[in-house]
Amino acid sequence: MRKNWYKIVFISIVGISLAQMSCTGDGSKKKLDDIEIPEDIFGDDKPLLISQEAMEDIIDNISSPVEMAALLKSTGVPFSQKLLASTDNIDDLNTNFKQALNLGILGCDLGYLNMYEKTGSVINNMTAIHSLANELRIGQFFDFSTIKRLATNNENLDSLMYISVSSFNNMDLYLRQSNRSNISSLIVTGMWIEGMYLATQVVKEKPKKDVIERIADQKLVLNDLILILKNYKGDSKFVDLVIEIEKIKREYDAVKITYEMGEPEAKEVDGMLIIVQNDKQYIDISDETLTSIINTIQDVRNKIINL
Amino acid sequence: MKKLFKIILALFIGFQVNQTFAQSDELVNVCALGIGNATYLKDYKFKIPASSVSPPSLKINVILNKGTMYKITVCNAEGYAGEAVVKLMDNATVLGSNMKADGSFLKAIGFQCERTGMYSINVSFKNGKDGAAVAILSYINM
Repeated sequence: MRKNWYKIVFISIVGISLAQMSCTGDGSKKKLDDIEIPEDIFGDDKPLLISQEAMEDIIDNISSPVEMAALLKSTGVPFSQKLLASTDNIDDLNTNFKQALNLGILGCDLGYLNMYEKTGSVINNMTAIHSLANELRIGQFFDFSTIKRLATNNENLDSLMYISVSSFNNMDLYLRQSNRSNISSLIVTGMWIEGMYLATQVVKEKPKKDVIERIADQKLVLNDLILILKNYKGDSKFVDLVIEIEKIKREYDAVKITYEMGEPEAKEVDGMLIIVQNDKQYIDISDETLTSIINTIQDVRNKIINL
Repeated sequence: MKKLFKIILALFIGFQVNQTFAQSDELVNVCALGIGNATYLKDYKFKIPASSVSPPSLKINVILNKGTMYKITVCNAEGYAGEAVVKLMDNATVLGSNMKADGSFLKAIGFQCERTGMYSINVSFKNGKDGAAVAILSYINM
């Protein structure tokens, strides 16, 4: 009976696929050779602690590294090459776990480089990203040649930023659709850690109020980050990573965030609706707490890049 | 047989994913060109079939940060009758919509965020018509 069921589904899928292929216009036709089949497309069949939908929601909402980089630049803090992760030992990253975490870290660094228009340094970073993405079999979503051309010619920096960010978004989407959310959660964790590392290192040198507030704000994200990583507690490497992130979370316990709600105002300007929120947000973070957060983030980030 | 089944299923899923990317990415690229003096952050793709009852809607949760001016730009796909109605929500409160009271549409929604937190983008299609659209979330460079 079971065998017959497989046969019926098999014939149906082949039939539907052939019908779709025959209907595809030549212009948009893709070679079947381009399709990669992830080994673990069927997952490990272990139930998740939270639903796939909730997982995706959380992954989608971990702060964009571009926003953090934009904030750093807007404060007038100059670019610092020494803050970036080294790309020298990329070939030594021999597991998907290490590759995914470091892909996230380098992805965040790419956002930082792009934001400061350091296109000369982008090539090294991108070469490493391309290599890691290929190892993870998601290199097809990283338009390396276009990004390289834009960076080399120092042309159209908006396009460079757009293609870089959308490449990562597409990689993330593909991983989730092909049942590899574990890899996706690691990339997002790497990005978050690196974004926090850049922000905390900047604050260590120049304590800018806006950046301190953004660092404190991340208290809202930490619980979600731990939640998605705990989904894979069957893997000891994930357990170790959660232990590290929980060290950061403990430092955040002393951060207090309060709100005062106000009425939003809206007006139409040049065909666009502009909404101004009149809520107020108050952050209470002592210098000692901030220092502890800075030090812990630095420790955790350095552990990850030296895995 | 089971192994062969898995391989064919993987090929099938891969093919579907590639097809979907090819079609909707084109609209994302076109839409991203229209965000003006803003920096792209994310894109969201929506496709909703026609409904004669209450118009179905989709909701995306998004964390927005204090001190940032966000912009949501909406582009409708060609070949569909529906026009996307996008609402930015703070819990149950509608902060604003791209559809005006007279039924006409604005090209984008801007939001000056002063409280970091979870907001949602709610999308339906006017009069429950079938539609496909892309919403680009970006921030405005101040």
